[in-house]
Amino acid sequence: MNSRVQATSRQTDGPLLKVTDLKTHFRTERGLVRSVDGVSFSLERGRALGIVGESGSGKTVLSRSIMGLLPGRNTERSGSVVFEGEEIIGLSLKDRRKIWGREMSMIFQDPMTSLNPVMRVGKQITEGLKIHLGMDNENARATALRLLHDVRIPEPEKRLNQYAFELSGGMRQRVMIAIALACGPTVLFADEPTTALDVTVQAQILELIGEQRRDRNMSVILVTHDLGVVAGHTDEIAVMYGGKLVEKAPTRTLFANMKMPYTEALLRSIPNIEDPSHTRLNVIAGRPPDLVNPPKGCRFSPRCEYVQPKCIAEEPPLLTAEHADHVYACWYPVGSPVYREKRAQLDKAKKSAGMSQVGAG
Amino acid sequence: MDRPEGSREKGDRLNMSDIDVMLDDNAPVVPLIDEAAPAKVRVRKRGRVTKWLAISWMVFITVSSIGAESLPYINHSCDQFASIGECTTATHANIRLAERPPAWAGFSDSPQKGEPARFGLMGTDKNGFDLFARSLLGARTSLIIAGLAITFGLAIGTLLGMIAGYFRGWVDVVIENLTNVLLSFPALLLAIFFVTFFNDPSTAAATTRPLWPVVVSLVILSIPPLTRLVRANTIAYAQRDFVVAARSLGAKGSRVLFREILPNIVPTLLSFALTGLALLIVAEGALAFLGLSVEAPVPTWGRMIATGAGPLREGSWWISLMPAFMMFLTVLAINLLGDVLAQRFNTREAIS
Repeated sequence: MNSRVQATSRQTDGPLLKVTDLKTHFRTERGLVRSVDGVSFSLERGRALGIVGESGSGKTVLSRSIMGLLPGRNTERSGSVVFEGEEIIGLSLKDRRKIWGREMSMIFQDPMTSLNPVMRVGKQITEGLKIHLGMDNENARATALRLLHDVRIPEPEKRLNQYAFELSGGMRQRVMIAIALACGPTVLFADEPTTALDVTVQAQILELIGEQRRDRNMSVILVTHDLGVVAGHTDEIAVMYGGKLVEKAPTRTLFANMKMPYTEALLRSIPNIEDPSHTRLNVIAGRPPDLVNPPKGCRFSPRCEYVQPKCIAEEPPLLTAEHADHVYACWYPVGSPVYREKRAQLDKAKKSAGMSQVGAG
Repeated sequence: MDRPEGSREKGDRLNMSDIDVMLDDNAPVVPLIDEAAPAKVRVRKRGRVTKWLAISWMVFITVSSIGAESLPYINHSCDQFASIGECTTATHANIRLAERPPAWAGFSDSPQKGEPARFGLMGTDKNGFDLFARSLLGARTSLIIAGLAITFGLAIGTLLGMIAGYFRGWVDVVIENLTNVLLSFPALLLAIFFVTFFNDPSTAAATTRPLWPVVVSLVILSIPPLTRLVRANTIAYAQRDFVVAARSLGAKGSRVLFREILPNIVPTLLSFALTGLALLIVAEGALAFLGLSVEAPVPTWGRMIATGAGPLREGSWWISLMPAFMMFLTVLAINLLGDVLAQRFNTREAIS
């Protein structure tokens, strides 16, 4: 039998997922934490969106907020999330449960903790199949086998009766993917799916997610802090900073023609393999903004190398670049005259600093 | 290229030829460990003997207390020493053998002719009943009461703790405050209060006092700590990724609680429950000592100790000491088993 449960095709006009001005605030004793502060984007069926940002930029909260997985207490959520033409914010828990697993599912960062340690792997996969899709034991087992086979787990039959601790990290993440895919979701949230894994395994897992996306015509939202991860595996990238979306563009455009100094800084902080050894890593100075008291102007301004008085005073709106699908929030984007002037100064300063260092050594 | 023969001696410095060997894919693999050396490592485990002693004791006490009526090593003769079954009143023959020390005790009271100076493993009490047989019957009472109490306590405590820990909010506040109130009472005082409360005064004077008031009061004693333990564990597990993962797949609250969280708590719960069982046996003993447990003639350790308190001053130490010793061994064995369980589950946690 065909185990691939095809995604339901009650697609209406418009994008599969449309998020408009989504805000997620947490009430804490320190004050209101604005983890997600007005994020809008849309996602077409079968496409992959990368959400990139530092720790604390709100990317994980954003993905959980879209799914409606956050605890209700002390959480304020506003805005709109339209999924398949239907508003899903404000749905009751019962209705949300119908979406979870079947329409949206999630892969987590750490496969060591995202599998139940005392339940056999097979059971964890078949549970959802039996409950959501009403399969009997035999069908569910056969489907689980197919799923494990799909995610390229060797000896799937043996794995069904194993526990999580008997599997390696990469294998656990594959099992996690199998579980997430089991009920044929239309949107898969992958929350840093490779962060806890070995570099060699990372590529395999990303490849697997991409492959399953194409096979199942499923949309993927890939949340990560690693621009390298999203580069080869997404159609579009959204950069988040301090709970806001600061730049969004098709992957190619973003890497070729980034506008936001933050995106540039992120990219520059990836070490270049061709640099001589002992080259100083380019770090972004400072810390992510306090989400209780975010900076008044541009949220990146305290850490921006090209900061101007206007940046500190006024918050930049989302502007459209040359292409309509490229938006950014910056007063003096990469390539503008002010930027170029400042860049030249910085390069000069860096060069002389480098010289003095050589002299001292 | 000269290759080192066999394994390198300890303290040998790594020389260039070693590195060449390491870099050369075709080089034969030089075993780093001498194969003649024993491959098996003996791991010394702590408390293996005590573990088996504890298990044997528990098996002995359980089997003996269940089969007290028919087991050969227990004295059954009703007209002489026993109190088993319907033998409730001391007969003349009993009285003649009253307060005989255990057979191994090294002194005698110059008994009358034809009567044994010492008797059995544990001697006899002032009614001439065999203390060994009675102690085993006492074990039956204690184990039944404490076992029932911990079972119900576990069921209720687990349910309350999981509800409080998973749903939080006002339910948690209510349950937390209830457990706090119960915990702040002196445990024994609370038990005494409940036993007297549940014992209907109109029937208390009657010959049969039911078992359940004691059980209920001990259940009430055991609920608060178990609720706390389960609540704390539930909170810890509810935030684990696999629980969020289960929810993200659309699992219901009850499903998450009983299928995802509960199986993870069970190990901790079991080892704690054994400690609780030991505590409840002691608590039941205390109640019985105060005359608040089941009615005579059903023997319990607590009352046996109490009745021996008088003769203790006159030198008949065994009447109190023997049942106390039985209770001590049982409680010790249960605690040791609790440790064994806790250790076992700890290892497992370390693997995963």
